[in-house]
Amino acid sequence: MKIYDFTGAPNPRRVRVFLAEKGINNIPFEQVNLATADNRKPDFLKINPMGGIPVLELDDGTHIAESVAICRYFESVKPEPPLMGIDAKDKAVVEMWNRRMEFEVLGMAAGSFRNTSDFFKGRIPQVKEYGEVCKTAAVKRLEWLDTVLADREFIAGPRYTIADITALIGIDFGRTTQIRIQENQKNLARWHQAVSSRPSAKA
Amino acid sequence: MKIYDFALAPNPRRLRIFVAEKGLKIPVEQVDIFAGKNRTPEMLARNPAGGLPVIELDDGTHLAESVAICRYLESLHPEPNLMGKNSREQAEIEMWNRRVELGLFGAAGRAFQHTNELFKERLKQFPEYGETQRETTRQQLQWLDAQIGNKPFIATDRFTIADITAEVAVDFAAQLAGVTADPALRNLARWYQSVSSRPSANA
Repeated sequence: MKIYDFTGAPNPRRVRVFLAEKGINNIPFEQVNLATADNRKPDFLKINPMGGIPVLELDDGTHIAESVAICRYFESVKPEPPLMGIDAKDKAVVEMWNRRMEFEVLGMAAGSFRNTSDFFKGRIPQVKEYGEVCKTAAVKRLEWLDTVLADREFIAGPRYTIADITALIGIDFGRTTQIRIQENQKNLARWHQAVSSRPSAKA
Repeated sequence: MKIYDFALAPNPRRLRIFVAEKGLKIPVEQVDIFAGKNRTPEMLARNPAGGLPVIELDDGTHLAESVAICRYLESLHPEPNLMGKNSREQAEIEMWNRRVELGLFGAAGRAFQHTNELFKERLKQFPEYGETQRETTRQQLQWLDAQIGNKPFIATDRFTIADITAEVAVDFAAQLAGVTADPALRNLARWYQSVSSRPSANA
């Protein structure tokens, strides 16, 4: 088993934090340099035809791509501590919040970065104005998230879950285009401080 | 239990097909997105993100996000299995569901939002960006054709949630995003013919 990883990118970090929270620390990582587009080379496209990172390689040679699919595999083979819900309803609640954090925080931060950064210049057709719209949307969603966190410790309720991992990485990645937690967002700041000080945040 | 639905939108259709494949009968209530009824204070109390579908459980809990709702129903009614029977299958199906969601379905959605009259008043449209997303939609259809190859279904050897997402995305791209699948994409056409002739496709 091994994981194709790139330390500079947000999605691979989701899996690294997830594994750290699970206490799984014996999986080798192989770096695939996104900066030199190694993920778009023919050899890598055989591993993941979408070209994304991370990818999990199982011992039988199967490749599992998509961060959350990889997390779900590990949740299933090592259920403790639960990071994706404990019963039918809780699993749905966690998935709902994880998806909200994906589309509205991480997705908007990514839309902002993809359309405005030099990194993507020449790689994709950039529409700067659309990048600005994504940034504004992300900033608004952080305001909303601050109100959500007024009466709960974590994003999906009383327990740390994959939704916290996605939100943490979305917010940290947002810094690349100056999407930041505002001073008056005390609940969000308290939560960010708490999740960032877990050892897994350094993974 | 009931589902807040809107017959003309793609995400609610994903859930309706899923429910039909499970052989379930759940009452639905229409919420007219075109008239902005998903943004009323009552609906925002059920789903602050404003999207549809939303399911209301008998204890009053509301769950949003199509795939989270599907996962809840999958837990309650495991057969026929649509999201994986074991760790490996669950990861594989989630991988494919997300590939189609983030690739084809996402691109078609952004093309629609940035080029369709319906969204003129609701968001700042960038037709130029919409065109890049139409092109991405075309590329994703080609990609999917190559990935399907000779396979009967998108993930594993049976019909799964990944087929539902792809089927809804192909129809949505054609009906609302202005991108019809090229008939020369034979694998895609064969697969589409097969999934869209299932009774659930009319849900």
